[in-house]
Amino acid sequence: MSLASAVQAAPGVYEGAANVIAAVMLLLEFGMLRQALARDQVRLYAAQSALISVLAIVIAADRNLPDLYALAGLSAALKVVGVPLVLRRLLGGAVGDEEAAGVAGSQTMSPATAVLAGIVLAAIGFFCFGALGIHGPAAPATALAIAAAMMLVAFGLMIVRRDVASQAIGFFSLENAISLAALVVAAGLPLILETAFLFDLLVAVVVFGMLIRGHHSRAESLSTADLTRLRG
Amino acid sequence: MSVALPIPLIQLLQVLTVAVGAPAVTGVIAKVEARLQGRRGPRVLQPYYDLAKLFRKEALAPEGASWFFLAAPVIAVAAYLTVPLLIPVLTSYPLPLGYMGDILGGGFLLSLASFVIATAALETGSPYAQLGSSRAKTFSAITEPVVLFVVFTVALLTGTDLPYALAATVRSNAGQIIRPAHLLASAALFMVILHETGRIPVETHTGTSEFGMIEEARAFEHSGPYFALLKWGSQLKQLILFTILSDVFLAPWGLAASQRIGAVALAIVALLAKATAVGCVVAVIDNSFAKLRLFKITEFVAGAFLLAVLGVFTLYLGGG
Repeated sequence: MSLASAVQAAPGVYEGAANVIAAVMLLLEFGMLRQALARDQVRLYAAQSALISVLAIVIAADRNLPDLYALAGLSAALKVVGVPLVLRRLLGGAVGDEEAAGVAGSQTMSPATAVLAGIVLAAIGFFCFGALGIHGPAAPATALAIAAAMMLVAFGLMIVRRDVASQAIGFFSLENAISLAALVVAAGLPLILETAFLFDLLVAVVVFGMLIRGHHSRAESLSTADLTRLRG
Repeated sequence: MSVALPIPLIQLLQVLTVAVGAPAVTGVIAKVEARLQGRRGPRVLQPYYDLAKLFRKEALAPEGASWFFLAAPVIAVAAYLTVPLLIPVLTSYPLPLGYMGDILGGGFLLSLASFVIATAALETGSPYAQLGSSRAKTFSAITEPVVLFVVFTVALLTGTDLPYALAATVRSNAGQIIRPAHLLASAALFMVILHETGRIPVETHTGTSEFGMIEEARAFEHSGPYFALLKWGSQLKQLILFTILSDVFLAPWGLAASQRIGAVALAIVALLAKATAVGCVVAVIDNSFAKLRLFKITEFVAGAFLLAVLGVFTLYLGGG
C-alpha cells in the first residue's frame, strides 16, 4: 500500500469505536503475555471477555441485531464470571502458593523480549488479514486484522510460557480472538450456532481443568518443564 | 476586544507564554502532588522564587571544565525556546515561522538540548553527573524508535509531518479522534513524555537518591545562574511536551482562530489550563505507582513501543 492510499478519511465513529475495543483487547492479550502471576492473567482474561461483550452490544445497537444482546449477556456470564471463577478455584485448589508451583518465573524470555516477539507475530497477523480486505456486514476490516493478530499472540503466549495455567489462559483468550473474528465477519450468524461455539469453550475449560489437576497431582507443579524428560 | 494583534507579536507571545508559564505548571504539579500525599506542599509560585534565587547566586565551574560546560545551559534553553515557534501553542492557523521545521525538526531541537547537557555533564569529571548523562543517552536511544513510530502514525494520518496538520485533522471530525491509531499514538507519546520529563515510573522527580537518577543527575555540577537555566530548561521542556500532547494530539481546541486580542488571551489561558490538566494526571500517576528498577525501564519502553507500533499497523496494514 502506498503512503497516499493509506492517508484516508476517518472511518466514522462507530467503526472507530469497534476498532478501539478490538485494539484494547489486543493490548490485554499482550498484558497476559508479559504478566508473571496467573492470578493477574485471569483478571486480564476477564477484562478481555468483558470487552468482547461490550463490542457485541455496540454492534447490536448500531446494526440492529437483537440476537447479539442475548449473545453478549450469555458470553459475559460465561467468560467474565464463569471461566475466571473456575480457573481461580482450579488454581487455588491445585496449589496454595503459586510461586512454589512454577507459574511465576515460567517465562522462557524476558517480558520486554516477549513483547517484541509478540509485535512480530501481530505484524504477521495484520499483514495476512489486512491484505485480504474482508468487509463483514457488521464490523470493520481493521478489527478482523486485530483479531488475527490476537490469535497469533495467544499462540505465542502458549509457546513462551512453561506452565499449564498460562497455557490454558492462552487457549481461552484464543477463543476470545476467534469470537472477535466471528463478530466481525458473521455478526448475523444464528444465535444457536454462536451459543454452540460458546459451549465448546466450556468443554475446553473442563478438559484443561482435568489436565491441570492431573499434571499437578503427578508432578506436584504446574510447570511443564518436568514433561520434557521421557519416562520408561 | 476587536483589536487585531500583528502576526509577529503572536509568534513572540507563543515563546513568552511557554517561557513564563513553564515554572507555574511545575509549581501546580508539585502542589497537587503534595496534596495527594496529604502534605500542604510548596507555593505554586515557588519555582519562580527558586529561579530568582539561583539567578542571583555565584556560578562556579569544576576545575578543568572547558567553556562548553558553561555554554551548554544557554544552548539548551535557546533550543527549548525555539520549539514553541514550530508547534501550535496559541493559534490554530500556522504562523510564518511555523513551517521552519516539522515534528522531526522539533525533535532534533529537543535532542540537541539534551545532548549538550549530557556533554557538559561529561566535562565535569563528577561520577554522578557522568552516570546520569550515560543513562539518559542510553534510555533516550531506546525511546527514539517509539517517537519515530508516533511520527509515522502522524504521517499516515495526515500525509505530512507538520504538527499544525495533525491538530487540524483531529479537529476535523469525531471519527478522527476515536481512531485506534490516533489513540494508540497519543498513549505512546504520553508514556514517552513520562520518560522524558523524568516522572514515575521511570525516575523519581524530587528525590535525593543518586542511584535511581537519570536526568536529574546531569545538573549536579552546575551552580548559580547556569543551574537556574538548567532547571528552567527542564520546566520548559515539560511544558513543551505537554503542549504537543494536548494541542496536537489530544485536545487541539481552545486555540485562537483569528488575530483578535481576546482570542489570543483566551488561548493563553486555555493552554495553561490544558497543561495543568495533563500535569494533574501525571501527579496522580506519580502517586499511584512505584519507581521501576533501572533495568525494568526497558519493559516500560517496550510497552510504549508496542502501542506506537500497533498504531502504525492498524493504519498501514489494517486500513483503519
